[in-house]
Amino acid sequence: MRRAAIGALAAVVVSAPWLVAALVPRQQRYVLHVLIFTALFAALALSYDLVVGHVGSLSLAHPAFFGVGAYTAALLATRAGWPFLGALIGAALAAGVVAALVGVPLFRLTEHAFAVGTLGLALVASVVANNWVEVTRGPLCITEIPKPVLGVPGGPALAITTLPGHYWLALGALAAVVLLYRGLTTFRLGRAFHAVRDNEPLAGAAGIDPLKYRLLAFTIAATVAGGVGALYVHYLSVMCPEEMTVALTVNLLVIVFLGGVGSLRGVLVGAVLFTALPEVLRLAPTWRLVIYGTLLLLVVVRSPEGLESLLRRAAR
Amino acid sequence: MTLISDLLEQLLHGLTLGAMYAMVAAGLALMLGVARLINFAHGEFFMLGAYAFWLGYSELGLPYPIAALLAPAVMVIFGIVYQHTVIRAILPRSWHVQLIATLATSIVLTNLAIIVLGTQPKEVPTTLSARILEVGGFRIAWQRLLVLVAALVIFWGLDRFVARTRTGRAMRAMSQNREACAVVGVDVQRVTLVTFALSAGLAAVAATLVSPLFNIFPDMGTVLTLKAFAAVVAGGFGYVNGAIAASFLIGITEALAGSYISYAYKDAIAFVIMIAVLLWRPQGLFGRRIGI
Repeated sequence: MRRAAIGALAAVVVSAPWLVAALVPRQQRYVLHVLIFTALFAALALSYDLVVGHVGSLSLAHPAFFGVGAYTAALLATRAGWPFLGALIGAALAAGVVAALVGVPLFRLTEHAFAVGTLGLALVASVVANNWVEVTRGPLCITEIPKPVLGVPGGPALAITTLPGHYWLALGALAAVVLLYRGLTTFRLGRAFHAVRDNEPLAGAAGIDPLKYRLLAFTIAATVAGGVGALYVHYLSVMCPEEMTVALTVNLLVIVFLGGVGSLRGVLVGAVLFTALPEVLRLAPTWRLVIYGTLLLLVVVRSPEGLESLLRRAAR
Repeated sequence: MTLISDLLEQLLHGLTLGAMYAMVAAGLALMLGVARLINFAHGEFFMLGAYAFWLGYSELGLPYPIAALLAPAVMVIFGIVYQHTVIRAILPRSWHVQLIATLATSIVLTNLAIIVLGTQPKEVPTTLSARILEVGGFRIAWQRLLVLVAALVIFWGLDRFVARTRTGRAMRAMSQNREACAVVGVDVQRVTLVTFALSAGLAAVAATLVSPLFNIFPDMGTVLTLKAFAAVVAGGFGYVNGAIAASFLIGITEALAGSYISYAYKDAIAFVIMIAVLLWRPQGLFGRRIGI
């Protein structure tokens, strides 16, 4: 029954472009656009949850790594003329390296101080994106980023130009991130992550170095965020500094905390709700943030387990 | 000559910035010390205080001293309401919950301010900010002098309050051991409330002092919270006088770097200082201390 339900859901998700074309032919482009955003945000939120939900470090620097990846991909594709896959890998590695470098001093901070330090990093990254005009073009944005072309140099190539193509690419990326997330959070490594999150001194005493595992989760999450950034700019074909502000952190916090911290299903449900819903309701960004902030406040104070606890109750 | 007077002018600008950061950071350090809580909405206290001052002075036409007293009074009430609604619910919870709740409050306040007041910056020039004192080719606005003198008086008063009064001593005791305070009969709730009211009031005083010199805009709070927090970290967690000293260090460095190195990157200076302090002296610039 459970397996059949998941199979049916997967079939619906994969065939979504045709379903959309059949059901809402007039708004096909718009609905697909929202779906692509949802898939990309779900992947980003899952990577964020690796740090927040599984090793228990409340990082607020995720927009910085997303931005490093997005700008790296944008620059490699426009200035250096790298192919899509090269730019994607370069972006992911760049974000990962930055995370590993800043992670060493940042993890000297504990608890709230770590959160503030990472928020400071996000702020510095956004100041740099706005002001390092020679490289990022500042508020003028990097434009004309080519559409993704899948394939190796010299071999067959598949250019992704249509919206369904972008959707399947984003969905493939999300599937890869889901597998990575499952792989990292179960097995031996996942148990080490949870040990560090649940009882740091005990984990240390049992020979699990908390710093090592936190840094590992932080770096992997940043690598994934960088990759998502690359997909994002190749889809939109433009990258602006506004894409990496505190508003993105709020979005991720809402998705992860309202969906369910540390739960694959919770984060996915959160991503669908909080990416698609505001688009459908056509909320102005300021109102959206007011509503998100209020929801976040109510949920963390009243029911800190998020929607996941409701889902679990419904499943019983 | 111009080189030296230019340098002096930047130093003075740095002291003004430092005084502003210090008043915000002192409140943050008090809350951290007494209630073990990081208030991400602290910069918004400053922002709301600045708008309250703008409303009183520019819109209602009140004289400066009255408007400058009114804004902190409003913010003290706001601090008490905030304590009763949000803080009381999150104090017994984990630091994750506290942090996200105060961050959410900050986001809501900033965006409500954008919706109600617009993004257009407000200017509140006063007679004192336009009057210039000239001493041997060196020019200084009277408002800056007022900021510095008022800051000195306030920091002296705060130090005396924490050191001498009954409530101040209770605050220090709570910053060392909250449970023991409750056991020996300190009214923990009341002291927490006084701390929040005092912190909110301090942020609003800073706002009324510097608003005639700088623009007021809705999202100025976030950066201010972060810089004040950088000062709290650099000054040694929750040590109020350390946070004040570190604020002045950040203000002066920012003014000098903004003028001689790069204006665009001046907002990043505070974090460079914070990271440097953490790498070099993780216990803070002034050594390890217990309590505020």
